[in-house]
Parts: sequence; C-alpha cells; structure tokens
Amino acid sequence: MSNWLAETIRQAEKIDDWLSPKRAQSLSLLKSTAWPTRQTEAWKYTPINVIERAVFKSANDPQIPTEQNSCSQIPNLQAIELIFFDGIFDRNASTQQLPDGLTISSLSEGADLSWALSSFNQTKPKHHFFGLINDTLATQGCIIDVAEDQCIQQPIHIAQSFSLGSQSHTRILVRVGKRAKVTVIEQLQGDQLSFNTSFAEYQIADHAYLEHYRLAMQCEQAISVGGCHFHLSTTSQLNSNLIGFGSQLSRIDMDIIHTGEQSNAKANVIYLLDGKEVFDLHSAIEHTVPNGVSEQNIRCIVADRANAIFNGRIHIHRNAQKILAAMNNRNLLLSDNAQINTKPELEIYADDVRCAHSATIAEIDDEAMFYLQSRGISRGDAQVLLSFGFINELVDQMNNAAIAQWLRPILRQRFAKMGLR
Amino acid sequence: MLKINNLHVNVANNDIIKGLTLSIKPGEVHAIMGPTGAGKSTLGYALTGRDGYQVTQGSATLNGTDLLDLEVEDRAAAGLFLAFQYPVEIPGVSNMEFLKVSVDSQRKARGQEALSSSVFLKRAKAACKQVNLPLAFLKRGVNEGFSGGEKKRNEIMQMILLEPILSILDESDSGLDIDALKIVAEGINGQRDGQRSFIVITHYQRLLDYIKPDFVHVLADGKIIKSGGPELALELEAQGYAWLESYDRNAQEANA
Repeated sequence: MSNWLAETIRQAEKIDDWLSPKRAQSLSLLKSTAWPTRQTEAWKYTPINVIERAVFKSANDPQIPTEQNSCSQIPNLQAIELIFFDGIFDRNASTQQLPDGLTISSLSEGADLSWALSSFNQTKPKHHFFGLINDTLATQGCIIDVAEDQCIQQPIHIAQSFSLGSQSHTRILVRVGKRAKVTVIEQLQGDQLSFNTSFAEYQIADHAYLEHYRLAMQCEQAISVGGCHFHLSTTSQLNSNLIGFGSQLSRIDMDIIHTGEQSNAKANVIYLLDGKEVFDLHSAIEHTVPNGVSEQNIRCIVADRANAIFNGRIHIHRNAQKILAAMNNRNLLLSDNAQINTKPELEIYADDVRCAHSATIAEIDDEAMFYLQSRGISRGDAQVLLSFGFINELVDQMNNAAIAQWLRPILRQRFAKMGLR
Repeated sequence: MLKINNLHVNVANNDIIKGLTLSIKPGEVHAIMGPTGAGKSTLGYALTGRDGYQVTQGSATLNGTDLLDLEVEDRAAAGLFLAFQYPVEIPGVSNMEFLKVSVDSQRKARGQEALSSSVFLKRAKAACKQVNLPLAFLKRGVNEGFSGGEKKRNEIMQMILLEPILSILDESDSGLDIDALKIVAEGINGQRDGQRSFIVITHYQRLLDYIKPDFVHVLADGKIIKSGGPELALELEAQGYAWLESYDRNAQEANA
C-alpha cells in the first residue's frame, strides 16, 4: 500500500460525525482496494502517481483566503453564492438570505437530515477508488434541498478555490423535490498545485428539472478528481454542462441513472487541453426503465503534448424499451504529440431502442480553413475561429446567458494561446 | 488588371487546365461558360490558391502582383474574391464574427485602420438588406442551415463588404429561383463601378440576362476555345455544348 493511502486511512479513522455509519462502509472497502495502476482498466490512461509524488498539506487544513485564490467572478450571474476556500465552507462570504423553498446546510455542521444520510453514496458508484477516499475524508461540503413545486430563479453557485499545496475533499448532496426547478453551478478553480476531490450527488424527483454546470477550470499544475452523479425519476429532466481545462490530472466520473420513465438527460462536455495536461472523463448512463432519452455531446481540443481520455458507457437494461440514446464524441487534434483515447461502450439488453454513438478524431477541416483564408483570414486566426466555433456550438446551447457570455472570451483567449505553439 | 498567361493546373495528377490565357481590364465583366468538367471551378480555385490545385506552368498577375506567389489570405488582401459554388457551413462561428474578422484582416494586410464596431455593424446590416437576407442571419452560424439560395446570397453579402477588385463568381446562379437570381444579379450589378472586375462562371445564359457581360468565353477541356461578346452566350444557349464539340473538332481538324 502506498504511503499516501496509508496516511489517508489513518486520517479517515479519526473522523467521527453524522456520516460515520456511511464512512465506515467505504473505509472497509478502501482498505481492501488496491491502489489503481495502469493495469487497472478504469485508470488505464490516468497518471494518478502524480498524487503520490506531490506533497500536500493534510486534508481540509484551513488556509487564510487571499484575493488570488478565490474563484474568478462570473459577471451578471446574480447567484446564491456558496464559497469554499481549500475545501472549507466560508459562511460569511456566502449568501445568507435564501429564497423560500430552498434549504442549504453545511455538511460539516452535521445536519441531522435523514434524506441526506440515505442519499449519500446512493448514485455514486461504490467502488470508485477516489470516490471511496472522498466518502471517508469529505467532512466539508453542502446539502441543498429544493422543496416540492419550488422554482428557484437564482442559480446556486458553489465556488471552490484551491491554494498552493492544499488538499481538500468536499461532498455535495442535492435533492430537487417533485416539480421543482433549479440551477446548480459547481465551479472549481485551482490556480496552483493543489489536490482536491469533489463529488456531487443529485436526486431529481418526479417532474423536476435540474440545470447543472461544472466548471472545472484549473491551472496546469492542479490535480482534481471528482464526479457528478445524477439520479433521475419519472419525467424528470437534467441539462448538464461540463467545462474542463487542463490540470496535470483531472478526472471526472459522470453517472446518469434513469430510474423513472420519460426522464430526459442531456449532457454537453467541453474540454480544452494544452501543455502536458490530462483530462479524463468517464461517463455512464444507465437506462433501467423504458421510454427514456439521453443525449451526450463531448467535444475536446488537445494541443501540445496533452492527453484527453473519454470513456463513455450507455447501458440499456433488459425491458428498458423505447430508449433514445445518443453519444457523440468529437475531438480536434492540434499537435502531433497530443493524444486522444476515446472509448464509447454500448451495452444493450432491450431490443426496441434507438441508440447511436460516434467518436471522431480530426484535424481542422481543410474546406472550412480554405473558405476562411480565401476571405483574407490568416491561417492562425482561422484556426482560432474554427476551434472556437467547434466548442462554441455547445456554449450557444447553454441556457444561462451569464455563463455563456463569461466563457466565450476565456475560451477564445485559451485558443489563441494554444494556436501559437 | 488580371493577366493569366498560358496557365496549366494539375489536380490529383490530372491536367485540368491546359494553357489558359485571359486578360481582364478594370470594370470588365467576363463570363466563362462551358460544359461540366471543363475546368471552370478549377480556374477559381487555382487563382485563389486552394491546396491540391497545382499550377504547373504559366502565370497569373493581379495589378502586376504575382498571385501564384501569395498565400491564400494574401491573395484576398490583394483584392481577389471567390464566391463559392458550395459555400461551407461553419457552425459555432457567427456570420457577423466571420465577416468582421475577414474585413479586419484584409484592412490590416493593406495597412488600413480597423473599422470601429459601430461602422462595421452599419455596413453589415446594409449589405444584409441589400441581398435581402433577414438581419438574424448575421447572428447565425456561417451558412449553418441556410438554404442553397441563402448561401449564395451570403456569398454576395461578403463580396459587398470586402469590396474586392476582382470577383470570381462560381455558379452563383445554380440552384436559384428567379427571385433569388435577380437579388444575386442586383448585388453584383451594384458593385460595378467601372473599376472593379468580375469573372462570372456559369452553365446557363439565364444569369447573363441580368448581368450584362462584356465578354463571353467558352472553356472546354482546360482551354478557352472561343471568345466573343454577349451574343456568344445566346448562341450557346440555342445550340447547346454539343455544337461546341463539333466546333472544337473542326478547329482541331483545321489545325491539323
């Protein structure tokens, strides 16, 4: 066993809070789980040894927040703010007044919430290695409860920033009540070498609607492992958007579990990698009942020596008829040394479903390039325009105009930088 | 203005243009007609510098500048414009942004100052109206989901904004109904100012009812085999390209 893991287990054993019954189960699983290696299929392309090599402060060690390590502001978002520095909830910096029908509790304040206790680990796969670590160590986070029939107009913005050398583990539990409507934005920003795990579990009840954003925009050195796990009930809807930037290692597991008929899930994913960054998305969509719809669009641009990994699984259970599922993964390679590993997996046990998947890896379209150049646009500028367009198609689909507006210039700058190499 | 001398173009190891000579003076409109496969589109691509269209012999100059020596974008900045037969769809890039970057790039290359956003917006709106496209088309992705006719009108809109000195219109009339054809023709006629020149590539006489050419050339098998005034187009329309083939054969026999 690695030293890092041994130390983690030592720390976990000291934790005693309202989640302890759940943590104990995960801890015993963790003790019998081997540190993943390149031979472990789920971590085949993920260089997790960087976590062992780097030295971090012990988990959730409070830091003094400074201007530099708070998340970039998203103008005009007008959100309910939940602020975390190095994994510690900052109640004073967060929004105090909440609209009717919305309850938010800090995970560390030991809310005696039976629903939260029972939904902990309900949608997240049990055997995810870092999921287990998060189960045992995440004493910080938030619990969001949207009451039935409530339409929360303001988005809920969970902003987590990480400073140099910090290590943090946070957990987010969300329940969207029947017929309720809410937007949740998870923003994670490590501007320096830091390590965080952040897992979020969402229960979306009958007829409810969740709009979700995960903005994992980290610097080149940051290390981030996390997940977004969604549980969909009858006629519920999910619209998820994931943006991934860099990190020497960023791994996200996304699970969408349809447990009620007529549920509809859409997930758009954008990632842009430069330098030696590694981004790894593992997604699994489970259709356990008939008449569900799922659509996934994953677009990725890799430059320099970066490595993009996508493993997408759609699992249609026996008797889950009349499913419409589409998974579309398109990648753009900007350099000979960049790497893309994409693996769509369909597992279908029902015989009356429509299920499509595609994965392409391409360079910039010659015809489009010539078209732009023939209008006087230089090759470099055309590359930025086309790369941006490739991604912007998905930004255009975002419902939240403030996020889309904030993102566009950031993406543009990033392309301009990537194009220069 | 444009001088093409003994141009030979090879595409994928096939000689497509085999010794084409053409001279265009400021303000002139030249129509190039000819059967499918004659090399009409190849001429447009070779002049604008598309990859894979290799000039193996001959020269082409625009106002004395050697076109063949320039990058694609520099040919555009020198005043050359090609209206595509099949304009490319680019989702995610708004038409407005595409137009602005195009105009800015060309102005920069020519050492002119960039237009302010408000001036540009005004011009773009005017051009959009001129080709009878709704202003919403400026915000849409470049040609994304446009009908055939809308794409052709979008090409003309670009031409209006870029103000090229030589425009090559590659079958800008194909797939258009009569109303769209008129709009395209008016867009082109509105640009005729005695200085700017045009090469109109077409299969049919129809477009030439609306755009009066100064010269008509017949391109067949990579060469201009006959040149004349507007009456040549009428003759072609009446007799078809089969007449041409016999003309061509007669000419070859005469040469022999």
